[in-house]
Order: sequence, then structure tokens, then C-alpha cells
Amino acid sequence: MNIAIWGDELAAWVATAELARTGNRVMVQSKEPGASSLKAEPGLMDAIQQGFADGAIIQVDAEDAYAASVHWLAMHPAHQASALELCSRIGRTAQGDIMVINQSNFGIGASDRLQAALPEPDRQAVICLPDTLQQGQALAQFARPTALLLGCEHDGARLALQALLRPFSSNLQQLQWMTRREAEFSKFAISGMLAMRLNYINELANLADRLGVDIEVVRQGMATDPRIGQHYLAPGCGFGGSHFTQYIEGLADVLSQTRHSTLLKTVLEENERQKELPFRKLWQHYQCDLSGKTVTLWGCAFKPGVASIDNAPALAVIRALEAQGVQIQVHDPEALPALKEALPDCASLKMFDHRYQALEDSDALLIMTEWPEYASPDYDQLLSLMRSPVVIDGRNLLEPEYLREKGFVYYGVGR
Amino acid sequence: MDKQKAWRRLEDTAQKDANLHLKGLLMQPGRFEQFSFRHDEILLDLSRQRLTSEVLDQLLSLAGSCHLDRWIDDLFSGAPVNQTERRPALHTALRYPPQHAFNLDGRDINSDVQSALSAMEVLVNQLHKQQWRGFSGEPIDTLVNIGVGGSDLGPMMVCHALEEFQPPRARAIQTHFISSMDGSQLSSLLQHLDPERTLFIVSSKSFTTADTLANAATARDWLKQASHMPEDLLLKRHFVGITACPDKAFEWGLAKENLLHFWDWVGGRYSLWSTIGFSIAVRIGMKGFRALLDGAWRMDEHFRHADWSQNLPVLLALTEIWNINFQHIHAHAILPYDGRLAHLPAYLEQLEMESNGKSVDRCGQPVSHRTCPVLWGEIGPNAQHAFYQLLHQGSEPVMCDFIVAASRYGKSSESLQSQHRLTLANCLAQARVLALGDDAIDQSSASPWQHYAGNQPSTLLLLDQLSPATLGALIALYEHKVFVQSVIWDINPFDQWGVELGKQMANTLLPHIGQAPSPGAFDKATDGLLAELYRVNQEETTP
Repeated sequence: MNIAIWGDELAAWVATAELARTGNRVMVQSKEPGASSLKAEPGLMDAIQQGFADGAIIQVDAEDAYAASVHWLAMHPAHQASALELCSRIGRTAQGDIMVINQSNFGIGASDRLQAALPEPDRQAVICLPDTLQQGQALAQFARPTALLLGCEHDGARLALQALLRPFSSNLQQLQWMTRREAEFSKFAISGMLAMRLNYINELANLADRLGVDIEVVRQGMATDPRIGQHYLAPGCGFGGSHFTQYIEGLADVLSQTRHSTLLKTVLEENERQKELPFRKLWQHYQCDLSGKTVTLWGCAFKPGVASIDNAPALAVIRALEAQGVQIQVHDPEALPALKEALPDCASLKMFDHRYQALEDSDALLIMTEWPEYASPDYDQLLSLMRSPVVIDGRNLLEPEYLREKGFVYYGVGR
Repeated sequence: MDKQKAWRRLEDTAQKDANLHLKGLLMQPGRFEQFSFRHDEILLDLSRQRLTSEVLDQLLSLAGSCHLDRWIDDLFSGAPVNQTERRPALHTALRYPPQHAFNLDGRDINSDVQSALSAMEVLVNQLHKQQWRGFSGEPIDTLVNIGVGGSDLGPMMVCHALEEFQPPRARAIQTHFISSMDGSQLSSLLQHLDPERTLFIVSSKSFTTADTLANAATARDWLKQASHMPEDLLLKRHFVGITACPDKAFEWGLAKENLLHFWDWVGGRYSLWSTIGFSIAVRIGMKGFRALLDGAWRMDEHFRHADWSQNLPVLLALTEIWNINFQHIHAHAILPYDGRLAHLPAYLEQLEMESNGKSVDRCGQPVSHRTCPVLWGEIGPNAQHAFYQLLHQGSEPVMCDFIVAASRYGKSSESLQSQHRLTLANCLAQARVLALGDDAIDQSSASPWQHYAGNQPSTLLLLDQLSPATLGALIALYEHKVFVQSVIWDINPFDQWGVELGKQMANTLLPHIGQAPSPGAFDKATDGLLAELYRVNQEETTP
């Protein structure tokens, strides 16, 4: 099929790469993603280059893209107005049947509005395909989804969509058709549920801190109940990322405007507080005085496997440490360029390519991202490099008893 | 002309014009143009005062005969105009433009002022960035200003008035004001506060104010109980002191780096421009605070340099002198037609009555004329349902200040804008009815109980809109008015000896409260009450 891609989000470029790989002719308007965090998505740049080399991806002007029969919209949440304009433009230009697949997070009801912008609803259909990609494994998730939620209210488009997605259905266990509005709502509902689970386990972890209980034991106990399961129950210093957060913010707004419900707003607020948890533990350890201290952060990416620091807990902690006059030494295997870009003028911040170098003369190590390489460090080297052997493990990555035995002062989240 | 002669001439004029009624004056062509005056965004309308151009001329001569020009020079140059305490009163130096030097005894005090403001700015920024941390590491989101008198009324009035000028970053911070000695405000407030996120500002010029220190001690104990943390650590993370006596504050236990300074040449009731205005700066940001100072500074310049016949503080002061000393009006109502200025009456009560509520002149002689009237007030539309009955039909002549903003709710809903129009209509209606009485409407009632005599004089202060700059100018206008009156009355407006004796007596009485009575220790009434206090408390403690 002839497919025009609109938007510069992760979903746009993953769709470009994967649709090109499966025989489609994909039209884009720029050579590569704008955001550096997208460029760092594993495998993505190679796949795009391959697509261009094969001629499956071509760069065109917007004018040429309007005439495509399939339009894939994965645009920034703030660009709803231009999406509406785009749809009416496509609708006026198109010859024959067209299909607009909306993956953008414009809120609940947005796909219906896009449909309303198309002048010939019999031949011009909007389909809502919620974006479920996670940074770090997006290509694989697109290629082999286990479940798909499809908001489609047009029988003809349904067939065309099935044909388009057929190459990606090898692993598919569930495919559910619903209305566009239901599909959007489902996506919001899933994100909100996950955020609440994370928030809940963090609340329990903070309580466990006070009660002298190990939250890891409790968590395993909880997971034995099949109604609960084990996913999204790892306590830590808060979630970040832009995609997940945007959905939760969107749902929180809808809930507070239409229902005066503060449930998800509280989840977001508590998550912001949780991001500063490692700072608070450090603050209390040093009796409310951090001036002149040197502190090491291992990890600034919002999760392992990504180069992005969007809404990362490390940012909140760096700001708090900077305000207290702390020298900050950061290591991250991927996200240092993004950090440098976000905080170009932070004089008290030093970045290190080697994780042990970042520990020299340090008064504390804060583990902010659970990169695998942090999980089993050379403890003797840590002890000899650091000025004070204080470890604050924001991701419960290490074994508390062992560290204490080695002579560290260890603080986890709820243990 | 000497003062006595000018004074007698005004008495003669008052006698000659005794029968003049405002309804006649308000019919005169050009009345409004002649008796209303503008500076920047403030219009001072004196056309409903019992003034004629003859009276105004004579009042201006009276001011000249009292050497007002020399006094103004002395005030602004830092001469010891507070002669009973041998010091200048330099609140005007607090709002001097940052780049100009202000020399006092060979020292540039403006550089001190600016560095105190910079120190304040550092704290304000920390709070706005949510980087002032409490004992647990949580950011502070609640400020409690503990102070009384000048350390309470000014900041509270301005914070309330300028709430809508909060920058977004300031919205996360709640501010409370605590003053009452008995702890009742504080104890009910503390129940709602989170000790991990609360910062107390202890404001006291002398840092010996009993009311304030008692409240501060209660706050400190509350934090200790909630945190189980060492006291010095709590004081460092949860207390800021604002004082002219840093040694005393340090002795009390405050951390040196948490002290903001001002100086003994700032009177308490003139101190909101100094670091005492910390809570204002937190509320409206440093930019807003500097706009407040700038508005006041522009009024200072106007007062200092404008011809008296166009000079708002001079004209307002002389008009009230006419009312008090020649029209025998000894009550003054402050009536803001604006809920944002709810605390302005209480603020002006202190400013005026603590400054000019005196009856001994600068030479130590009893004054031979009346001085500051009794001042009170309330939000105008609310007072219409309370004490306006007395204004319209009581036996007491009262002069009124109506204060109102011409425009408000620019971008808000139509219903709010119509509420503002309703308020303006009420303000103008009341001023008109007070002046004209029955003649305000065509038909008058035959009923004697529905008769309005009118002829109650009023001033109307019309602000283009309420903003940090116009509020700064308005407060400075009142400050300078009070000063001009003090010059005419030849009293020192900057001391307050009248509040000392009561404090002393309380200290003497304190050990006797709740003790077995020793008749003859005090006067009969006090002895009697001490005995009653003992009896009631005994009964309560014995089951």
C-alpha cells in the first residue's frame, strides 16, 4: 500500500520502518527523527536507513503525501489542530477510498473529530489504533504484538486494515474490534491502571520503611495472588518518560474536569514526590546539610534501555542537589547526551563515561536507573573510591544485607 | 505669616462659612475639576469636602507657616525627625531606586537596603523553586508569619490585596498570619499544617515582643514534638527571623544565615517596605515587590517636589486638618469598595492612630487643639449593612474615605464585571447621599425618620486599577499625609510611648495571675479581679 506518515513521534518512525519492511511504500517528510532519544531507539535508525536504501521509504513534500490512500498519524499531543486541518485537506485531495490510522494521543473523542473532518465518510475512514509501544523495545512490539485494540467503525476499512496488519499477527493472541472512542478510552484506562499500581506499591514501600518490613518480600507475596500478578509492582523512585505520563495526565484532566475526581491527579503528584525520595533519604542521612558534599548518580535515563531523560526522576534529584550546593557526578551508559542538552549550564554537574570514575571522593551513591551493569558492581572498588560508603538504591537493585556486611550504609525503597 | 495668625484666619473663615452645605458647593460649576487631583494612577477627589478655594489657600498658608517645606527636607534627608528617640524615620530610603546612593552619616544606606533585599530574594527564589527543604527533605509549601502590629498588619494587608498578582511559581505556597498573644490563632492553625513543610517567619523589630516570642516558642515546640529532631536543626530548617536586632534573634536560637535585617531608622508601622515584607515578596514575587516599592517611590518624589496646590498627600492632610480642627469632626471612616482591601482599615488604624494619637507637642507642651481622630473602617458594601446608619442619620459628624478601583475583572466573566459595576454604583451613591442628603433624589419624604441631613464630607480615592504599583503609591500617600498632619500639629509621629506603660504593667502583674490574692498590692479593681481569677481557677482544678 501507499502510506503517508504524519508526525515525529516514536510511533511514527517505528511504523515507517516496519511498514517499509513488509512491502509497503512509505512516504515521510524528513530524513530521520528530530529527537535524539528517538534516534537512540535500538535498531530504529538502521531500519530506517535500510528502508531508504531499498526505496521502500521515500522522502516527499506534504503536497505529494496528501494523495496517499493510507495515512498514519502519530503526532504530538499538542498538534491536534493541525491534525484536523490535515484530515480535511486529505479528504478534499483524495481520489478513491482512504484510511486514516490515528495513533496520536489527542484525548478521548479525538478520532471521532478527525472523522468529522473528512467530507466523505463512506469512503474515508478514521481508525484508532492506540499506541502501545514502549521505548527500548518498540520495533519488536510493533512487529509482534500479542494483542491489538482497534477502533474501527467502517466495514471496508476493517478489511484493508486487516490486510495491512497481517504481517504483524504471528504472535497475536487477541484482536479486539471496538468503536474509536472505546479504543481511545481503553488506552487511557490501561495507562491509568498501571500508574496506580506503581503508585500503590510505592506507598506500601514508604510505609514498609517506617514499619521495618522488607517490601520485596511483601511484593512477592502479593504476586502469588493470580488476581494481582507480578507486573508493575516494583517499588522505586517514581516513573518517568513522556508517553506514559502524557496519557495519565490526559486521563487525570478528563477525570478532574468531568468527575471532579482527584484519583489520578494524586497519583501524578505522589509520583513527583517519589522522584525526590533518594534526595530525602540522603538529606536525612546527612542531617539536613549537604553543602560541600559530592554525590554520585548512577543512571539518569527514565528507564533502562533508553537514552531519554524525559520526566526522569534523576532530573528532580539533580535540581534538588544543585539547590543545596552539592557537587554532582553522573554516569549513564546512554542518556548523558540528553542530560547535557537538558542542563547545559549546570556548573555543579559532572558527567562520566565510566561508572567507577563517577564515584571518586563521593559522599553517596544514588542508583536512579536499573541498568543491568549497576546490579553487581565491584564493591571493594566502591569502598576504596568513595569518601563515605553510603548507597541509596532508588531501584532496589542490590542486596541490602550483603552491602551492610561489606560496610556500606544502605537505603533502599521500602527495605 | 505665623502659625497662630494662619490658624485664627481659618477659624474666622469657618465661622463665616458655618452655614455652607455641600449641596450648594456641589452645584458650583467646575467644582470637580477644581477639587480633584491626579498623580499617576491615583485620583484624589476632594470635591465633596467642605472646601472653598479661599479655605484651601488659607490651609496652604498654614502649612507654610508650620515650615512644612523644611520638615519634608528633614524627613527625606535623614534628619532625626523622630527626636524623642533621636533618630531619623527613613522608610522612604527603603524604596529608593537601587542605583542611587543614599548617604546617612557618611554611609550609603541604600547599599545596605539593596543587599538586604538581595538576601531576601535568595530565600524567595528557594521557596518558589520548591528548594527550601524541611527536616524530612520535603519542600516547604506553607509560610506562617508570626508578628504583631507593624510586623503583621502591613504584610497581611498587602498579601491579601495583591493575591491575584501571584506568579505561577508562588501558587504552591500558602501564607498564614499569626499575631494574637493568647495562641488561639496558632493552635487552631497548627492542627491543619504539615510540620515537614511549614516555615515560620518570626518578625519582630526588637526581637523582644512578648506576643511574637510566645507564639514562636509554641511553633518550635510543635515541630519538636512532630519530628523528634534536635532543636537547632529544626530552627535552621523551619525558622526565618526578620529583625533590627539580629543578636537577640541569634540568642533566641535562630540560625544566622536565616536572619533578614532591617534597621532602627525604620518604624514598625512603616516597615512593610523592608524585609518585613518577606511574605509579600513570596506572594507576589520580587518583581511584584519591587513594583510596590517603585509605586511608593514615585509618590515620595511627588510629595517631595510637586507644588503643594497639586500635592496629593499635602492636600489630603490639610483637608482633614480643616475637618478636625475647624469643622470639629473627630471620627474618620475608611471604606474600601473592594474586598481585596479588607485589611486596609486595620492597617490605617495603626498607621494614623499610633502615629498621631498624641497630645504633647515636640517641645513637651500639651497641644491646644485636637489631633488624630478616631479611625475605623470596613469593606464599604459590608459596612452599608452595619454602621452606615450612623453615618447617614447619627448625631456624630464623620469624615469618610472611599477607596475604589475604576477597572477590575478585565478578562473575567461578565457576571464578575457586573458585580464590579454594582460596587462602583454603591460607592458613588453613598458618597453622593452623604453629601447631599435628601436632595440626592427629587422627592423627599414627609416622615421625620426618613430625613437625611447630608453635609457629611468625604474623600474619594479612585485607583485606575489595583496593582502593586498603585497600592504602593496609596500607602505612601497615607504615610505622607500622616506626616504633614503631624507637622501642622507639631507632634512627633514616629514614636509610640503610649504603648509602653501597658506592657510594663503586664510584666508586673504576670507573677500575680493565678496566685492567692494579696489585698492592697494594686488598686481595688485589679485586686478584686485577681482574687476572682484565683477563685475560678481553684474551683476548676479541684474536682
